Amino acid sequence: MSRHLLPTLALAGFAAVFATDAFAHCFVGARFFPATLAVDDPCVADEMSLPTVAWSQTADVPPASMLNLEFDFSKRITENFGVTVSQDWTQIRQPNGSVMQGFGNFETTFQYQILKDRSHELAILSGVIVDWGRTGSTGSGFATDYSLVTPTLYVGKGFGDLPSSFSWFRAFAVTGQVGYQIPTNSFDFTQNVFVPQQLVYGASLQYSMPYLKSEIVDLGLPDFINHLIPIVELSLSTPVANNFGNPYTTTGTVNPGFIYIGGTYQIGLEAMIPVNRASGTGVGVLGQLHLYLDDMFPSTIGQPLFGGTTAPRKLTF
Amino acid sequence: MRILTLATTALLTLAADAAYAHAFLDHAEPRVGSTAPAAPKEVVLSFTQNLEPAFSSVEVSDANGARVDLGKPKISASTMRVGVKPLPPGTYRVRWQVLSVDTHTTEGNFTFQVGQ
Repeated sequence: MSRHLLPTLALAGFAAVFATDAFAHCFVGARFFPATLAVDDPCVADEMSLPTVAWSQTADVPPASMLNLEFDFSKRITENFGVTVSQDWTQIRQPNGSVMQGFGNFETTFQYQILKDRSHELAILSGVIVDWGRTGSTGSGFATDYSLVTPTLYVGKGFGDLPSSFSWFRAFAVTGQVGYQIPTNSFDFTQNVFVPQQLVYGASLQYSMPYLKSEIVDLGLPDFINHLIPIVELSLSTPVANNFGNPYTTTGTVNPGFIYIGGTYQIGLEAMIPVNRASGTGVGVLGQLHLYLDDMFPSTIGQPLFGGTTAPRKLTF
Repeated sequence: MRILTLATTALLTLAADAAYAHAFLDHAEPRVGSTAPAAPKEVVLSFTQNLEPAFSSVEVSDANGARVDLGKPKISASTMRVGVKPLPPGTYRVRWQVLSVDTHTTEGNFTFQVGQ
């Protein structure tokens, strides 16, 4: 046996055992899509949000203050199929000092990666979100007796494939999602209202300073700046059916902010600006600590449960 | 709330021990998007993580797509360098793909110019 063959075989074995092909969290070619706060990113991944914190004021007159904490854990089952479990807790404090609080329904999201086009920085993901009825604090009104099922499509597109003449513009990327929320009951007997089917949709516009530095031009900016992704997110829902007696009003928020990309984590902070009076009062705040489990634990829980041991790709320019 | 804080601290501590992550391009010489006043003899790429040499590579090409690098790069820890032929003034593209030691693949490309 050649003296070079043994180390080569050992290396190949190492790669075969541990390597994902992988762009585990959302890498598509040279583009990295961060985990966005108000809408979902277009990739399956091994990641965790611990927690997402939102503070806002309700649309009531006078408004109540609302604090929401959410925990999300995402796990790839295979390279392209993943499951996310989510749980949130909400506290509403009325102007008179009275407090209501409780858990929302337990939520699971099943997602399948349809496409990752490296050269065009394009990712497409399909999913079904299920809010399971009677799994939260139904007595206090934070959860419902019925379930909600939302088939959803997610898309992400970076503009790095534009001609070089577009220069700095190539650091922009957009993501979007659109879902159709179907309740399992058409009437809520607790609150005596029809439960509408809703279009749930959102988008983000993001400018990647890491991409600018490594792909377009290194301006010699401070390291902190080179880790930032300024972002604007839009999160909306519109009743579209079974909404008898109620206005078909779109509600949601526009969220300008930024995401700081660390080695194994990211931190996001956004303002939440209601799009209309029915969406809330004043400006709220949304923050998130997000952990990249595939980077933190690359050989254990950062791997897909099944089929995640393909050898790395050789260079294919 | 205290439980969340403790859990977060524990996870970040574990992550610090693992100390891995994808290999991002930290800086390059010639610098990304820059104009070099004189033709460089090599292109040097520095990454945020150590690299696995057998699965990491780079190529440099001119505006017509012709290779101008001298072949196999030298890789040491988080640095990859490749020699280049004498470069006349013009625009050159560097394309790289690396496997970090924690087995994550990343890729990218950028241009630099040699002064007119």
